[in-house]
Amino acid sequence: MTRTQLHLLHATRRHFFSQCFVGLGGLALADLLSPTGLHAASGSVSGSPLAPKRPHFAPKAKRVVYLFMAGAPSQFETWLWRPKLRELDGQATPDSFLDGKRFAFMEQFTKQRPKLLGPQRNFRRHGQSGTWVSEVFPHMAGIVDDLSLIYTLKTENFNHAPAKLFFSTGSTRYGRPSMGSWITYGLGSESENLPAFVVLRSGKRNLMGGANIWGSGFLPTAYQGVEFLRSADPIPNLSSPPGFSAERQAARVSAIRELNLARLAEVGDPEISTRIAAYELAHRMQTSGPELMDLSSESQATLDLYGAEPGKSTFANNCLVARRLLEGGTRFVQLYHTGWDHHGNRVNNLADKLDEVALDVDRASAALVTDLKQRGLLDDTLVIWGGEFGRTPMGEIKELPGRNHHIDNFPMWFAGGGIKPGQTIGEVDDLGFFITKDPIEVYDVQATILHLLGLDHTKLTFRHQGRDFRLTDVAGHVIEPLLA
Amino acid sequence: MRFRSHGLIGALAASSLCAAPQAPPAAEAISFFESEIRPILHTRCSQCHNDRLRTSGLSLASLQGLLEGGKRGPAISVDRPSESLVLAALRQSETLSMPPDGKLPDAKIAAIERWIELGAPWPEPSAKPAPAAGAGHWSFQPITRPQPPSVSQPAWPRNPIDRFILARLEEAGLKPSAEASATTLVRRVHLDLTGLPPAPEVVRDFVADSAPGAYERIVERLLDSPAYGERWGRHWLDIARYADSNGYNADAGREIWMYRDWVIDALNHDLPFQQFAIEQLAGDMLPNPSKQQIVATGFHRNTLLNLEGGVDFEQYRVESVVDRVDVTGIAFLGLSLGCARCHDHKYDPISQREFYEFFAFFNNIDELSGAFRNNEGRARAFEPVLEFGTDEEYLRRDAIKAQIEAMRAEQSAYQKALLARQPEWEASLTEAQIAKLPLGVQRILRKAPEDRLEGRQVFVRNEFLAQDPGMQERRKAIAAVGALLPKIPSTLVMRELPEPRPTHILLQGEFLHKGKQVSAGTPAVLPPLEAENPNRLDLARWIVRRDNPLMPRVTVNRVWQRYFGRGIVATENDFGTQGEPPAQPALLDWLASEFMDNDWSLKTLHRLIVTSATYRQASGHRSDLAAADPENRLLGQQNRLRVESEIVRDLALSASGMLTHEVGGPSVFPAQPPGVMIRKPWPESEGKDRYRRGLYTHFWRTSPHPGLMVFDSPDALTTATKRTRSNTPLQALTLLNDTGFHEFAQGLARRVVEDHPESGVAERAAHAFRICLARSPSADELETLTNFASAQLDEFQTYPERAMGILTLGSREGEEPAELAAWTTLASTLMNLDEFVTRE
Repeated sequence: MTRTQLHLLHATRRHFFSQCFVGLGGLALADLLSPTGLHAASGSVSGSPLAPKRPHFAPKAKRVVYLFMAGAPSQFETWLWRPKLRELDGQATPDSFLDGKRFAFMEQFTKQRPKLLGPQRNFRRHGQSGTWVSEVFPHMAGIVDDLSLIYTLKTENFNHAPAKLFFSTGSTRYGRPSMGSWITYGLGSESENLPAFVVLRSGKRNLMGGANIWGSGFLPTAYQGVEFLRSADPIPNLSSPPGFSAERQAARVSAIRELNLARLAEVGDPEISTRIAAYELAHRMQTSGPELMDLSSESQATLDLYGAEPGKSTFANNCLVARRLLEGGTRFVQLYHTGWDHHGNRVNNLADKLDEVALDVDRASAALVTDLKQRGLLDDTLVIWGGEFGRTPMGEIKELPGRNHHIDNFPMWFAGGGIKPGQTIGEVDDLGFFITKDPIEVYDVQATILHLLGLDHTKLTFRHQGRDFRLTDVAGHVIEPLLA
Repeated sequence: MRFRSHGLIGALAASSLCAAPQAPPAAEAISFFESEIRPILHTRCSQCHNDRLRTSGLSLASLQGLLEGGKRGPAISVDRPSESLVLAALRQSETLSMPPDGKLPDAKIAAIERWIELGAPWPEPSAKPAPAAGAGHWSFQPITRPQPPSVSQPAWPRNPIDRFILARLEEAGLKPSAEASATTLVRRVHLDLTGLPPAPEVVRDFVADSAPGAYERIVERLLDSPAYGERWGRHWLDIARYADSNGYNADAGREIWMYRDWVIDALNHDLPFQQFAIEQLAGDMLPNPSKQQIVATGFHRNTLLNLEGGVDFEQYRVESVVDRVDVTGIAFLGLSLGCARCHDHKYDPISQREFYEFFAFFNNIDELSGAFRNNEGRARAFEPVLEFGTDEEYLRRDAIKAQIEAMRAEQSAYQKALLARQPEWEASLTEAQIAKLPLGVQRILRKAPEDRLEGRQVFVRNEFLAQDPGMQERRKAIAAVGALLPKIPSTLVMRELPEPRPTHILLQGEFLHKGKQVSAGTPAVLPPLEAENPNRLDLARWIVRRDNPLMPRVTVNRVWQRYFGRGIVATENDFGTQGEPPAQPALLDWLASEFMDNDWSLKTLHRLIVTSATYRQASGHRSDLAAADPENRLLGQQNRLRVESEIVRDLALSASGMLTHEVGGPSVFPAQPPGVMIRKPWPESEGKDRYRRGLYTHFWRTSPHPGLMVFDSPDALTTATKRTRSNTPLQALTLLNDTGFHEFAQGLARRVVEDHPESGVAERAAHAFRICLARSPSADELETLTNFASAQLDEFQTYPERAMGILTLGSREGEEPAELAAWTTLASTLMNLDEFVTRE
């Protein structure tokens, strides 16, 4: 009996890999031990929360990498060239722009009328499309013809944590599942030995909102994002304890399996077979995890392209890890890079700190698009770049130039699978206060990402406390001009 | 963004314009307002024109606001619709054009004109719902006391629970399972009641004790153990969304562990559940409340706190109040009241108005609100708190504060004199000195004083002050005295404002969009609260009234769920019309009435359940049940349940013999893998605090301890009435490799060697097995263990340095490292078994 079970476990190992890392619940013992169970191993596994599922319609993108610029980059120093704002630098802000508006740190405005702050960097046109790009992004300027740049995002909340939560979950309040969780719920996992939804973070500042941004909310925990850490162990406890050589660890895992199998034979609870498979996979991950994070196998040319340095925990390294994850079958990689909250104090300003953070992300963001393209992956990989809101055309009264939070317009770009390249979308007034054409809601972004993955955002629902919830609540329209 | 044209609006507006002159029926008009007009007002107008900001004097939050208008006069004219000011503004006239961020589509302007022509229909905020809607739903009906049914196997039932269960099994032609083995049963009841495994001697004595009442005596001992309050307290803390930090961006730490200890203590004293509820909801309002009764109100101070720069504290205060309504509804009534925040509940008989009437009970807390700004608000962010200092400490604090104040006054005089010398300082700076100053200060200094931007001079001033040795000295001295302030323990509590805040219906649930004012009240579908101007205490007393059918049903159902993995009502947080009906309505009501009749004693309820034959059944596989009742809804056997995250730790810690048996106190910081905590302090505990039970682990909401989260701890952001039970490779990695578990394995190794100094491998292996699993190993199991341990021992005896590599806690005098290391590897093997983390 034991020998047969071992054999079958080995034979079905493949399908356990498809549920790696998270949520191996729900497999029936019969699935494991019967011929249909073996049959299932080559197709979908019924009852597993992470079994691959069919999309609603043919997808344009199979995977997504979302480069989230945490802290909210200033549009005026990155993607939105407002020459008029430079002309009016230092002028008082027209009343009509301020009356009745609410801003973060609003009380400073009551002390002193804010003044307009001209762009702190120069812009040039780039590419066939002639898109204006700031001098802080020389590398992204080189790929503008691959991008679809939207100027006219707007959002609902001007505080960092709730605004990030809104992008991630469609709500500024806690408790809803994140987009990556919804996607994993909708499509399952394609990966043999990687999680479907991975989070990587970098940057010197605190990531406001923390792990709650990639939580699964009311969806089963199997769908939550798995964070790969910046420490020696990318996943907590990936290394064996001190003194456990590979042989000792293997001997221990083998003894555990033998005893678990004995209990399985005794009480017949399918949860035990799930646990046996989980141990086998965990043991394997102890080798495959470090391999994934070890960038030394990449060519020097690739490392240079990204500006990655093996052993560092940088945005550049994370971009490269993201590509490796996508190649390995991860569907949704969310990168967070902090350091964009440029109010004008010593640690966050548009003088020297903007250059620091731009240097952190510019080369690697461009490299990721270029690298995916070279490998033929860009056609069905969606790349997204943007922050949680924008910044005001007015400056702040601070030691150094800086801007306040602004929710009425901010830029984002999209590239790759299903995206029409080399265009810009939307218009903003001359001073950069308001959208004058084609406002895009955060819900529209979410609807579009789901759409490109073959999911109808109005149909991807989950019943909780008696109501069918969806990522886009009761809103959201696919951004049709964005689509190829 | 609307790229698809919305023909409907245009069509409706156009057809309406051409339609008959008289107004359409009211319902249709209101629906037109709700679907076409309210969204425009909401998304394009009322960000500025609301009751709070009243830009240009105008609020569009109510019809009255439109009719009264602002500085420019009434916004609409119902008599002469086309002359309405709002239409002129929307059509972007020369003198007035709105909204500022772009003209509305013509169709929408036409819709607004049509709406004014209709007489500007505006709905009354919803009235009480017709009691008919949903009122017949089972959970709103009074609790009866059903007779336990008769059964054909009268020998099986041990108490009435079993007769309900058996009757259903018999109906289905199924037999209950035999009682679990003595070892399984004794481990099960220990884990369920205390979360700690039975000591091997306890198991041995129980197996040997054939006298009647042996099991019942164990149950009594466990119910009397302080570990009972810890175990069941943790279940309640899930519901209370208890954590040691504020959440949101900054997620600073907070001090509210005394509330956690109050819960443990209340359960250990078997505080009647009525009182348990009242003290948590309104202990501060009881006549002459004790300090502990006030501590209990920490229940609703477990709300999040957003102290991010630039927030409007009022917005997040409103969020906290909404959360209190949600949690009160789910915790005590099993109703998702939160659904009615923005609109009338779609399914349950709860209107939006009723939501805000309920909201009013929790709206008067003297806490951080829109009345405070920035640092002033942050400085009192935790208010109200209750302090637990000695008189001496308070006196010392006052004295130190006075001293600091005096030092500040002296500093300020010094500073005043010093500032006269600032121009001199500025003039004296060489280019080389300037280049060493912070970038911003350099830039300002390089401009002539008259060119410096207004307001920026302060940064130069600050720099000047910072470099002055006299200032540095004074600042240091003040900080040094400040460090002497006594650390007085405190805890977050509730306190009413002397003047209640008015409560308004919030349109679309948004704090700036105030609708009609409402006063405190309870939903009409439930028994009425008869009190004039009822307050929070009246609400608490109403919740626990005997004729409120929800509270006892919800409570007994949740207790049941912990024992069997599923409630009698499977949707334990939704007793509304969308929830599942009870699998055994009669059993649920019988338990609820029994609970009330026994003075709302939880211990009595536990005793009743764990002594039932139903609870005591075996959990092994039965093919007849697997076929007839695959989800085991009829409970023809017990369920195997993986224990909760804290208990996984507690089991290993107990087996190691290292567990610190200490109840309560500030949260602790056990070891955790590196890299998880980013910019949060984790001062890893040493000594006895390193080995406390899992429920005492400090909980940072934005980066919880991974050992908790991997085993499905709730995130403490919202209430959690049930835990998921995932089964993942990450759990395997934790048990295999985590520093804490590696230390526990070393502890168990030492225990085994010390208990059996002279014994052979097999005897020791069997002992370790019994410590971990209560039962004795089978011959095959023992062989596996013995082979493994012997091989390890051989290796370590051959290569002693390898043993030292394993023993991160070192070895003591007289201990043989090779032995300890070998038994460590065996101990950790046992701690990784499915059975170890499972309540069978």
